[in-house]
Order: sequence, then structure tokens, then C-alpha cells
Amino acid sequence: MKAGIREFLAEERPEGYYEKLIRDLEEANEKLRMFSVINRELKSGMPFSVKDNICVKDVESTASSQMLSGYIPPFNATVVEKLDKNGFGFIGKTKMDEFGFGTLGVNCIEHPLNPFDERYVTGGSSAGSAAATAVLRHHVSIAESTGGSIACPSAFCGVVGFTPTYGLVSRYGLIDYANSLDKIGIMARSASDARYVFEMIKGSDKYDTTCVDHEVTTEGRRKLIIIDQLIKGVDERIASSFDKTMCKLGNLGYAIEHRSVPFIEKAIPAYYIVSMAEASTNLAKYTGFKYGLKVNDFSKNYNDFFTEARGNFGAEAKRRIVIGTFVRSSSVKSRYYEKALRIRRMLIDSLNSILKEGFIISPTMPIVTPKVDEAEALSPLEEYGMDSITVPPNFAGLPHVSFPSDYIGGMPVGTQLVTSHFNDMALFDFVGRWEEDFEYRFKYNVGAL
Amino acid sequence: MENEDFDRLLKICRLSMEKDAKDKIKHDIDEIIAYFNSIDGVECSKYSPAYQPISVPARKRPDRHEPFPEPGKLLKNSKIYRFFIVGPKI
Amino acid sequence: MRIGLEVHVALPTKTKLFCGCSTEGDEPNTAICPTCLGFPGSKPMLNEDALSASLRVAKALHCQINEITYFLRKVYFYPDLPKSYQITQLEGAVGHDGYVDLGRKRIRIRRVQLEEDPAKIIREEEYSLLDFNRSGIPLDEIVTEPDIETEDDLREFVSELRSILYYAGVDIDKEMKVDLNISLGNERVEVKNVTGIKNLIDAERFEVKRQSNLIASGQMIAKETRSYNSEMLSTVSSREKESDEEYGFIYEPDLSAYPTLKDSIPDTVIASSAARQLSSKYGINEVTLKELVMFDRNALRLIQHGLRCSKAGTVINAIELLKRHNGIMISDKGFEKMLSYMDNGMLLNEDAIKALLEDRDIGAEKNAVSAEEIDNAIRDIVSSRQDLVNEYKSNSKAFNFIVGMVLKKYKVSPKYISERLAEFLKDKA
Repeated sequence: MKAGIREFLAEERPEGYYEKLIRDLEEANEKLRMFSVINRELKSGMPFSVKDNICVKDVESTASSQMLSGYIPPFNATVVEKLDKNGFGFIGKTKMDEFGFGTLGVNCIEHPLNPFDERYVTGGSSAGSAAATAVLRHHVSIAESTGGSIACPSAFCGVVGFTPTYGLVSRYGLIDYANSLDKIGIMARSASDARYVFEMIKGSDKYDTTCVDHEVTTEGRRKLIIIDQLIKGVDERIASSFDKTMCKLGNLGYAIEHRSVPFIEKAIPAYYIVSMAEASTNLAKYTGFKYGLKVNDFSKNYNDFFTEARGNFGAEAKRRIVIGTFVRSSSVKSRYYEKALRIRRMLIDSLNSILKEGFIISPTMPIVTPKVDEAEALSPLEEYGMDSITVPPNFAGLPHVSFPSDYIGGMPVGTQLVTSHFNDMALFDFVGRWEEDFEYRFKYNVGAL
Repeated sequence: MENEDFDRLLKICRLSMEKDAKDKIKHDIDEIIAYFNSIDGVECSKYSPAYQPISVPARKRPDRHEPFPEPGKLLKNSKIYRFFIVGPKI
Repeated sequence: MRIGLEVHVALPTKTKLFCGCSTEGDEPNTAICPTCLGFPGSKPMLNEDALSASLRVAKALHCQINEITYFLRKVYFYPDLPKSYQITQLEGAVGHDGYVDLGRKRIRIRRVQLEEDPAKIIREEEYSLLDFNRSGIPLDEIVTEPDIETEDDLREFVSELRSILYYAGVDIDKEMKVDLNISLGNERVEVKNVTGIKNLIDAERFEVKRQSNLIASGQMIAKETRSYNSEMLSTVSSREKESDEEYGFIYEPDLSAYPTLKDSIPDTVIASSAARQLSSKYGINEVTLKELVMFDRNALRLIQHGLRCSKAGTVINAIELLKRHNGIMISDKGFEKMLSYMDNGMLLNEDAIKALLEDRDIGAEKNAVSAEEIDNAIRDIVSSRQDLVNEYKSNSKAFNFIVGMVLKKYKVSPKYISERLAEFLKDKA
């Protein structure tokens, strides 16, 4: 029997449990740098961590950006509010690529390290959330994905990473990256834990217009569809591991089919255009006097004052602000921004029609987990290329899950499963079935009872 | 992108940087935009722009007061002068 | 000369456009929340009354109304703009391609858009001061085509627009903020942020003179943004050039697209055209009628009602009398009664109007007097106070003294008494 949230909440914790939990976590954090804040006041409930771009009342929330250092939101994100009221206890804020800008989790000061081997990256941008989930025995993390920020680190850290249909979980309290793409999701050590939390946090919110009360279905599919363009060019070790996974799934009775989707490889440039266009507007508000980082010389003309403040963005944030501003400027807007939105519609239509027949399945990442120095040597464009598989479902707002399916050289490998809008529950059923025959491994079990 | 256009873009974004950093970022950006140009060949004119990936219902708010419970906390990080928030010179 | 306007008016809502903060904050920075301060993590939720008021205005301005309306982000940097983008509209605005009819000509309306107001900013020597109570107040921006060609056009348009807004339920006591686009030559000059109607006319006059002088001396008029200084009665060039900002509009992804349900938007009475119609039908002076009804919906309703049961002259006199005595809230029944007294030659004093307002019988013998009684009273004084009569030509006080004597007794309109007295004295002369 797996001991999940239900069992944890039903059982008595031994005296001093939380004190020891925090002590052990702080020790692990010294090494792995997952948390920016650890809540020493935690005394009860199922521990949950929160990605640092999600507001927790009276706790510094910075989206791992210097620009937001000192920002203490006076309100809770809706997800946090819901968990607080349902027997969960806030354990800390997890580090991330600055504002979510990154695939590998290295775009922040003292970025997290992979709990399986500290020489490796965690993946990003929900880097600390994935690492924390791989470290803590009884815990879930509230993460967020714009273009793959839940799936990627979940794969590299060997945890279950669930990204819901766009709009099913309120974004109120989320520090925006790209509003039409941002989705709050869950990282956990099992599909059933992820499901437990999802059922608790989904549903419409009077503070978020885009959050919907749509019925969520559990329609199983007998067919697994492989989109050939998505797995073209993946690392050989990943390819053969994926074959092994597909073999197992074939034995479980799934039919496997290969397809191609016109222009699916254009999802990446189109996604980056839309996300950067929106991000460049979201980041305009950081001007150094109402929250976060402060410039003190008010006698400077506002343009110089703002420019001084905005010098504190990291390199990737600056790149995205400039490119995002460019692609929405009036002379080229229809060529980039509007065209990318049309491509999004086209891909949503073609993916939805395929997804009626079956799940789309693939490795989560086209590469094995890179080492930190390898990651830091990549050019931005090389890094964007690694999102080739995670971007399509994210761009289309489709629910997807990454689950551990293999270990190569001791490092976990993830498989990604995608289904139709609002058929989120079917993902948990699928992964739950996978877990019956596949044991997840962890190096850390901090807080084990 | 021409240097002049790039400088104008930086000004619009209220960003400034040293020459070396600027050269590097400009190089990256040129490369990224060239990559973006690969969508030029996609024929998708018959599709309407998907501003959001799902259809978002037109929910509105009744015109009812809902004062923020702790307004004092909102001003914690600002410099205040006679109830006003101090901002840069205009 | 061509003038186009961008008029900003605050909509009559209790709370802000995208949050539940009051629109009537008192002390600076008390009606604020994460949303109207643009705090990271906050999100907007549209105020339904702001949308419906905005649609009412668009329809009243004869605009085309799309099936759905949506919002955009307009990005620019200024300390009063909390998110460094304003949530506003452009394509997808609540209304477009309408007009305001001035009778002799039409001023076309390009667009009516719903948007959020920035914070209030006060310029100080070494810094600025900001009050975010104003941030997020719903505004309608009404953009005209450059169809205004004279100062008279400008005055008339503004008055007409204010009347339409008043009838559409928009509080016009709040000051209008106007951007004035004015071109005498080829280039357009934009005068930003002119507050109030007097300043608008002054700014227009100054610009006309400035641009005319430049043209006369053979100089070029620069395309630029200027601001109006109400103390100096002049416009000055703003330092920022237009080309420095690139708004980079994108769809507002935190909001939805909203059905306008355009068939259910209520109609707005256009007071000036109602006045025109009544004037030609009943032979009433149009200017008088307009003065009575442009900013008084009760007056218009009473006149329309009264004309069905009484003479035009009586109706107009009755309305003037009611306005003088703050009685315009009178019931239709009370007004009918009033008209019948007046048609019977009765003069109504303050107490009589008060009684009518309270739906009481006025007690004609006490508060309403016939013209005959007034005449008798005047005749008595004129015959008994020869001293005053002798004096009245050289001393206006003597005339007024007599009027005062009659007024004290009967409390009817001093204007009426004066007219009658003048009539009597004419005979004496």
C-alpha cells in the first residue's frame, strides 16, 4: 500500500514530527538549495510547498527575481487559500528560473541542484518544486507551467508533474509570466496525491476571470498516439528508454499508433512569440517604487529612475522583454504576434481532433538530464529547443502529466501523456495504473513516518 | 536588426546596458528573431487568433463594494508623504 | 481649422472598473487594493455596471455596436500608471462610427472605449506624489473625427455631448478631461489633459492664435504633443516626443470577450432633438426650450406631459416657475393641477408651489391669487403713495419699493408684479 495524503492525514504524527521535518529539510536545503523560504512555524497538516511566483500572504514572494526582493504580498493566492482551509500546511517557497524564464532551472541566484545527483540540474522553471518533491516523503508542491515548467523538472527529478487544462485552477495570486499560457499545477510522488490536490484547488474564482467551472471528465482512451515529429531527434538513450516504456504499455493492452501533425514543430517559435509578447507587458510594471526592489533617488526623472530599477532584471528577462516588445510593435505585430495566435488556433484544432481518439504520448524531454556546467554553456536558442515536446500541449492549454518511467545511469526519465481539454482526470487513472507495475525511486525521504 | 532600431527598442523597454552586454544580447536576439521568421511559411490565415486556449466565459462582477481588508499593508514598501505615495520626478 | 477631441468621462459606478474599491475615496490612497495598485499576483474582474453604462453612452452617440467587446493592453511608462499598461479598448471597443447631431451639422464619433483611469499625480520639484484612489475608476473615452471647425462648433458640441451623457445617466458634475487635436496647417498638434470646459475653450483659442501666427510668419507647425497651462492660459510643448513610445497593443489575456446584447441596451433621450421637435410642433422658442431641458430630464418630461393638456405658454411659464422654486420634482398630477390654476389666470406663490409638490390642495384662496387682486393692490398703492410715483423715474428704489410692498402681501413672481406696475405707471406718465 502507498502512503499518500489520505493516509498521512488520517494517521497521528509522532510528537516533534514537524520540528524534525523542518530540521532535516533545512539540512537538505543547505545542499540542494530548493527553498528560498522555509516555514519554521509549520506545526500541522499535510506539508505543501509553493513555487515562488505564487503569493503567500505575509511571506516574501519574488518569482526568484531581484526585481521583487522584499515583495511581501498582503494576500494569499486562491490555491494557497484553498489548501490552508483543507488540512494542508505551508512549508516553504521554492526557487525557480527568474519569472519562469528557463527550461533547466539555472536562471536564478543559487539555483537548485538535482537530488539524485548534485552535479545535475533539476530542470525548470519549477526547479525547487520538483527537487522538494523528490526530497520530502509526505508533501506536494504547487508549481506552475507556462511552456513546460512543470513537466520538465518533474521528469528530471523523477516525480509526477501534472499540468491541468488552462483555466481550471485560479491564477489569482500568480505573478504573471504569460497570462494566456500560465497554469498552476501540482507535483507529487503519486498520481493519487496529485489528483487529491487537484480536486481541492480546481474551480472558478471570483478574482480570476479566466478561471472556469467546467466539468472535468475521466474518459479513458485505449489508443496511445505518438507524434513522429515530436520524437524526431531525441537523444538515443531517451529513444530506447521510450521504446521500452511503450512495450510495457502495449502489454497493458494499449494500442499504439504513429501520426504526424502539420506544422507542430512551429509550436515552439509561435509559443515563444506569444509568451514573450505577454511577458514584456507583465514585466513593464517593475519600476522600482511601489513593491519589490526600490530605487531611492526620486529626484531622478522617471525615465531614468525606471531604467535604473529595471537594470536589476536577469539577462534572460531582459532578452524576453526586448523581444516581446519587438514582436508586438505596430509594424511587425501581424507578422509575429497575430500569426502566432493563428498558429495556436490551428494546433488546438488539429490536436483536439487527434486527442478524441487517444492519448498523445512521448518522452517528456528530448535529452537526458544535463549537468550544471553543460546547462550553463547553452545559448538561449539551444535551451528553447529543449522545449520541443513540452511546448505543444502547453501552447494549446491541454492537460498533461509527466511521470517517472525509467532510470538511466541513476537519473530519472519521464514520459509525457496529453489528453483533451477538460479530460484531466483520465491522466490520473492512466498514471495510477502505470504505478501498479512501476516503483518510483527516491534518494531522500525527509519526513518519512 | 539595425543598431539604431535596437537602441530605440531598449529605450521603449526602459532598459540600458553596457556595450559588451548589449552586443551579446543583440546577437542572441537577432538569432532568436531569425528563428521566429520560420513561421512565415505557415499557411494559417483561415484560423482566427486564439487569444486564449479555451473559450473563457464572459464573467463580470456586480458593482458592489469589496474594500481590501488590510489597505495599510499595501503601502508598506512605498515611501509615503502625507498619505501620498512618493514617485519619481516628472 | 480641424479639431478632433478625445473626451474622458468617469462612469457612474460605485466601484472601480476591475476591483471592488470605492470610486469615492476620500483621504489619498485609502480606496486601494492589489488590483488597482497593479500588485504582482492581482487580476482584473470587469464591473458589469461600467460596461452597461458604457454601452448606453455608445448607443446614445448613435454608434455601431459589435456583438462582442474586448480589452487591450496599452503599454507606456509613467509613474501614475500602476501596471505600466492601461487596460483599454481599440478595435473591439464598445462602440464605433457614431455621431452627435448639432442640427446644422454632424460631428462624427470615431469610437467609444471603456478604460481605467490612472492614478492622480502631483508634480513636485524633486519628486511626484501619487494618489491611487483614482487608479482604476472606469472612464469612457469618446473619440471624435476632426469635424469641429469653429469655436462655436466646439462649444455646441461639448454642450450637446454633456446633455447626451446626462441623459445616459453619466454624472457630468465630474470634470471632463479632454485631449484636443488641432490643426490649422498640415500637421496635427495634440494638447493633452485639458480639464473642464472653460480651459478647453481657452486652450483652443491659444492654439489657434499660436498656429495662425506661425503660419503668418511662414514657419512650419511641428507635429507634437503640448500641454495646457491654465494659469498662463497657454500651451507648452511636452518634452516627450510621440515617437518615443510604442504602445504595442496586445489582447488583454486576463479578461474575456463580452457579449454586448446590443438589442437590450436602453435608448437615451436626445434632449436637443426633442426640443427641436416640440418647438416646431407647438411654436415654442427653441432656445428657451433647450435651456430648460438640456440638463433636466424632469423638465422635459413635464413639458411633454403638459403640452398634452395645456397651452404652450402656460407650460413654459409653469416650468420656469418650478425651476425658480426647486419644484421640478413635482408629480405629473401636481403639475396638471398647477397648469389648470394658471390657465384660470391664477398666480402661484411659493407656498402654493410647496403645496403642489406635497400633493396637497393649495387652498386657492390663501396661496393662489388672481391677476385682478394683484392689479387692485398695485392700483391702491399707486393712488395712495403719490410721493413714490413722483419719484420713480429718477429713483429706481422707489419702483422696487412698490414692488416689494405688493410682494410682501402676495408672494408671487416679482417679475410679474414689475410688469404690471410698469403698465400702471405708463398710464400715469
